[in-house]
Amino acid sequence: MQKSARLPLTRAQTAWLAALLLSAQLPLWMSVLDWVALVGTGLVILRLLPPVRRLGSTRLRALLLPALALVAALGIRAQFGYFLARDPCVEFLYLLIGIKFLEARDTRDGSLLVCLALFLAVTQFFYTQSLLAALLALPVVIALGGTLASLRAGAAAHADWRAQLAEPVRLTLQGIPIAIVLFILFPRLAGPLWGTATDTAARTGLSERMAPGSISELSLSDAVAFRVDFIGPPPSPRDRYWRGPVLSRFDGREWSALSHLKLGSFARRESAPIDYTVTLEAHGKLWLFALEYPLALPHAPTDEATLGAPVNDIALLTYDQQLLARNMVMQSVRYTVRSASRAKVTAVEGDVADNIGLPNNNQRSALFARELRSRVDSDRAYIDAVLAWFHGDPFVYTLTPPLLDRDPVDAFLFDTKRGFCEHYAGAFVTLLRAAGIPARVVTGYQGGEMSLDADYMIVRQSDAHAWAEALLDGRWQRFDPTAAVAPSRIERGLGAALPAGEPVPYLARMEMTWLKSLRLHWDAVSYQWQRGVVGFDVRRQRDLLREFGFDNPRPVQLAAAIAGVVLAWTALVLGFSRLRASQVDPELALWGRACRRLARAGLARRPDEGPIDFADRAATRWPQCSVALLRIGELYARLRYGPEREQRAALLVRLRVSVDSLPSVRKLRAQS
Amino acid sequence: MSTIAAPSWITHWRQRLWRLSPTDRDPVVLRHSRIYILPTRRGTAVIATLAIMLLTSMNYALSLGFALTFLCAGMVAAALLAAFRNLAGIAASPLVGGEAFAGSQLEFTISLSSAARARKGIEIAPRDGPAVEAELPAAATRPLRLYVEARQRGRVPLGRLTLSSNYPLGLWRAWAYVHFPLTGIVYPAPEASPPPLPAGHQGSDARRSILTSDAELAGLRDYQRGDAQNRIAWKAVARGAGWYTKLFEGAGGSGAIDLDWEELPPGMDAEQRLSRLAAWILAAERETRAFSLRLPGAALAQGQGAGHRRTALVALALYPNAAG
Repeated sequence: MQKSARLPLTRAQTAWLAALLLSAQLPLWMSVLDWVALVGTGLVILRLLPPVRRLGSTRLRALLLPALALVAALGIRAQFGYFLARDPCVEFLYLLIGIKFLEARDTRDGSLLVCLALFLAVTQFFYTQSLLAALLALPVVIALGGTLASLRAGAAAHADWRAQLAEPVRLTLQGIPIAIVLFILFPRLAGPLWGTATDTAARTGLSERMAPGSISELSLSDAVAFRVDFIGPPPSPRDRYWRGPVLSRFDGREWSALSHLKLGSFARRESAPIDYTVTLEAHGKLWLFALEYPLALPHAPTDEATLGAPVNDIALLTYDQQLLARNMVMQSVRYTVRSASRAKVTAVEGDVADNIGLPNNNQRSALFARELRSRVDSDRAYIDAVLAWFHGDPFVYTLTPPLLDRDPVDAFLFDTKRGFCEHYAGAFVTLLRAAGIPARVVTGYQGGEMSLDADYMIVRQSDAHAWAEALLDGRWQRFDPTAAVAPSRIERGLGAALPAGEPVPYLARMEMTWLKSLRLHWDAVSYQWQRGVVGFDVRRQRDLLREFGFDNPRPVQLAAAIAGVVLAWTALVLGFSRLRASQVDPELALWGRACRRLARAGLARRPDEGPIDFADRAATRWPQCSVALLRIGELYARLRYGPEREQRAALLVRLRVSVDSLPSVRKLRAQS
Repeated sequence: MSTIAAPSWITHWRQRLWRLSPTDRDPVVLRHSRIYILPTRRGTAVIATLAIMLLTSMNYALSLGFALTFLCAGMVAAALLAAFRNLAGIAASPLVGGEAFAGSQLEFTISLSSAARARKGIEIAPRDGPAVEAELPAAATRPLRLYVEARQRGRVPLGRLTLSSNYPLGLWRAWAYVHFPLTGIVYPAPEASPPPLPAGHQGSDARRSILTSDAELAGLRDYQRGDAQNRIAWKAVARGAGWYTKLFEGAGGSGAIDLDWEELPPGMDAEQRLSRLAAWILAAERETRAFSLRLPGAALAQGQGAGHRRTALVALALYPNAAG
């Protein structure tokens, strides 16, 4: 191994390093803490300022790195409360890069910074793997090449940074085939190598709790919850209820899920089955969303694994008809489910007990419910009366309801009358339970927008919704009190249902058509990205290899395949350069052509014979074309051995014309 | 130490791998059989970082992490091929082995041809001398001067050359050994302050003592250790003007001189004698006096001029060693 000399960093090298570090830090700007982003990037920029450039030579330098690193570590520790986990380490690395750069002095510091920046660049994908993130990572590769080339060349570097960049860009392009092959063939793991600390980064999505305001907050987000490919036609908007967490417990203010988990059986369908594949974004929870009501457990998508048996071990069905994954959904998953819009969900043991209790507050509601129930003769008539009351009374559907403190149901129903779906669903279930009807809140998503080509459906966080289920006649039935207040919410979505001036997310608004279509275009691209690149996991890898005829390839076979491709690539790259090399000497090619023709006509050049001598000899043999022959010899000698570099082009043209003017082999034979 | 000769296949491979004996013919074209490539320190660090990035991507199932890692790996791999291509096809020929005095540097000239491609950052390092950096445009042949420490008089080989390059990214070092049978000649180091030249011929007369009555004072020069006592300008010393040595120009001083090994004081060993003779040859040349040289087993007729001087110095350089 070569001992690299420790040479002081030149200005060009410092500038290249700064470009590399900034391009590695930039994509993380939004993911790290604000002060970390400011200080870490600030230090890099600070180093470029003239007074700090000289810092590298001072005595202070020896103290700088340890002291600042300690401060950084303590600061991050104070912010997180712990240090040895993924996120604090990323923050620390972000700062460390700035600190190390501040005191970097020689090329070995440069090497270290290159490695740190390279690793930092990969950490951005902890937080996002969007198409944008991928594009933001490309400058890192280019800057890496430029920095390495600059570190190597040192003072001899090309003055023009663009010229310095040409070689790294060429190398990157040459390396792309290798990158693609490795990406496809490198064995993927089904699970992590070591325990990934549960860095539950705040992800948007539904939770197992619902308090007034929790869903309306979610409704402000345009983020995609999941996408759906329907195998047949999609269901009508009114049937697009995507079942999520079922909340049975109520503490007077907040609804929450039952803590015990029982397995259930699937509903019996009463309408045509619908088959579809869901691509669920990571949400860090267990729910797998499905249309009401799921008829079977999800399995691997049929379009990818033709032989894929139902993957029963990835999911289970609870007795309250929730589909749960066995492990938290920490990365995007795809599954195919079968549902039916109408199905019979029979009550099971414990349903009544779990779904009837109420806390002691909200007494006005309880009184109101009992009074209303006494006026009608059946539970169904009571429910209709409650829905009619919601519809008839001046209830307002709004994203910005007033705050409710004690007895929130009472305050909502009788005082403010302004609320979002969680208010209506919660109040509705309270009224039902007060009247002795078992009922529960179901949260999930309602709606979904077809993509531009209408080939898949996008369900966003702004489609989050809460509705109710009541146990009537021994079966659970869905009631959506929001529909009674704002019917257009169910038919046409949030934007249509809310009064003007509400802070609806942009995309939920109907009128912003051009923006909407732009966003839908972008979504189409990023959906393909998500499916094809980000979602390329062990299963998709297996499916892809099967298409090429490899069934369950062993790692040895994959390694052999990689080695084969690398060999072919090597031959290609080296061969390509040889091909180009042969184009460098056009005069040699022309001279060779002339010599071959003369040789076939009977006059071969002796190995020790120079071009001019040979041309002389040929000219005496064929006096008719002696002018051309002599010129060929002279031009070739000048091009090959002469000093005239700048006239090459003109000389080459003349040589080409002269060679072309030679008679054919047959004529030469006839003439000699 | 074993006296058993290594089997021939071992010597064959030793030569093939390390080119320890000077058997390369002219010209040497660097091909895959000669070119070695290993990562530099920086290359090792970058590859290790890529390995860590790969592990991280595997553990957290980061598809884009894989993509970034493999993209960088592709660039590193392409840099390896570029490092190979930068050396492959270079033709090296030995040109001239120079001559120098012991203690200075011996110059060798070789030529490098770039063949079709331009070559960047080629370093040529003799085993016993400073490395030289070369850049070659496409289709160019350039002479290249190399310097080897001239430690001992005699025939000094250029030795094995290492042609290396860490172009383009400094991640890989490609190198090749070339060992030409090219030698230079190292003259004995001239004695630092030799006594003055022996007296020249007075006609066909026998030699005379250094100080003669008809010698005329030609001038003074700074005193050097070893100058004869009777030539010190004592008057100047007495005046406190410093130490000077008197220079005489005898009438016969411009005559031819004989430089004879046997005439030197008997206490001197062979190398000292050679040093003194070398110094005298230079002095004679400076004073444009013809000289003849006689060594045990070799003699040089009287002559003058650069060619004569060189022949004399070569004779000194190649004088057989006392040991062998």
